[in-house]
Amino acid sequence: MRHFIEELEDLQGRLLEMGTLVESAIHNSVRALTERSEALAQQVLGNEDRINHLEIEIDDLAVRLLALQQPMAKDLRFLTAAIKINTDLERMGDLAVNIVERALALMNRPPVKPLIDIPQMARTAESMVRKSLDAFVKREPELARNVLLSDDTVDRLRDSIHTELISFMQEDPDAIPQALDLILVARHLERIADHATNIAEDTLFLVKGVDVRHHLERNY
Amino acid sequence: MRHFSIELEELNELLLRMGSLVESSIRRSVQSLVDRDKELAKAVMRDEPTINQMQVEVDARTTRVLALNQPVARDLRFLTATLKINTDLERMGDLAVNIAERAIDLINRPPIRPLEDIPRMASLVQNMLLKSLEAFVKVDADLAQTIFPADDEVDALRDKVYTDLVAFMQNDPASVPTAVDLIFVARNLERIADHSTNIAEDVIFLAKGVDFRRAVTPVHPV
Repeated sequence: MRHFIEELEDLQGRLLEMGTLVESAIHNSVRALTERSEALAQQVLGNEDRINHLEIEIDDLAVRLLALQQPMAKDLRFLTAAIKINTDLERMGDLAVNIVERALALMNRPPVKPLIDIPQMARTAESMVRKSLDAFVKREPELARNVLLSDDTVDRLRDSIHTELISFMQEDPDAIPQALDLILVARHLERIADHATNIAEDTLFLVKGVDVRHHLERNY
Repeated sequence: MRHFSIELEELNELLLRMGSLVESSIRRSVQSLVDRDKELAKAVMRDEPTINQMQVEVDARTTRVLALNQPVARDLRFLTATLKINTDLERMGDLAVNIAERAIDLINRPPIRPLEDIPRMASLVQNMLLKSLEAFVKVDADLAQTIFPADDEVDALRDKVYTDLVAFMQNDPASVPTAVDLIFVARNLERIADHSTNIAEDVIFLAKGVDFRRAVTPVHPV
């Protein structure tokens, strides 16, 4: 068997590979929506299997390392963080697929309004995903904290999209199905941002050994 | 240090206590909507920090047990399943809080129609959670399997709620904010059901040592 450190590097490499696939799935899902591109939508659907497969590979590897190497302290925290981040990435991949499903439904109907807030929300969410993975790989707590701050921006955008689309539906009842699809897309993006926040929190736990979820850190 | 099997048992108990609080949050959140009971909705929101605290504790104890006991094979699979189930339970708690928040919004507006499908969804979803947790503590794959038909039923009800409410809104645009809230309640219940399905899949993996997510391929021997 290879050296433990190499195995850990391999695990991190696979998580990064998965992160890259998930980032591009999110990016393409929103482009499929804004450009009404079925080809981009199909591309995201085509990558889903690869993401799901990687999740299982990473899980197997992490569990095998936990069992065979009996890691302590920081390596143990790394492995438990890897298991959690893996789940978050896979969920983000699912959410990108959900966005694509909405995009495909919307392509079959006339466009109802120009999309401004959703692309902006998508850019913020994508940058959170990238930064959270970067923070994890580089073990940079400042970058991770930066991600936690952006989550509020995404939540505010989601609320303003929601309010705007509710009045839109009341003015134009024919557009209700489209508007509901767009509200869902905003929710999916918000969930993606939440998962990036989880990764940032796991990174802080990994680096500091302190659980910052649910704002518990101020108790320490 | 206490005996390993006692640690595992305590972990099991903690997870079950968390599960029953989550189940009660789901039940009360929908009850608050049906009875238009704002206090009940607020009670669900007040319990959220307890659920979060339990999640942090389950994670911390699982990691400690992993580190100190260096378990192998089945115990190791049990502990990694615990980490996953813990995440699912905490998310279900969040979703129950989302339902309680919607309930408070809805109570402030006149009701638009009697609620039938949503309470039906809620009772299916609570039952799925209880069964999936029971299957976990008993490591009973057959019991875990029994929740999958309920998940299909929940999905069908969610679609029905959506279709009915879209038609309703189109006839009565004033009902849009209320109907959208109800569509989201149905969605949240459907997501809660998905988390129970995740738990059932973890139980099947635990019981058989195979990853149900990819049918029957064996995992690396440990």
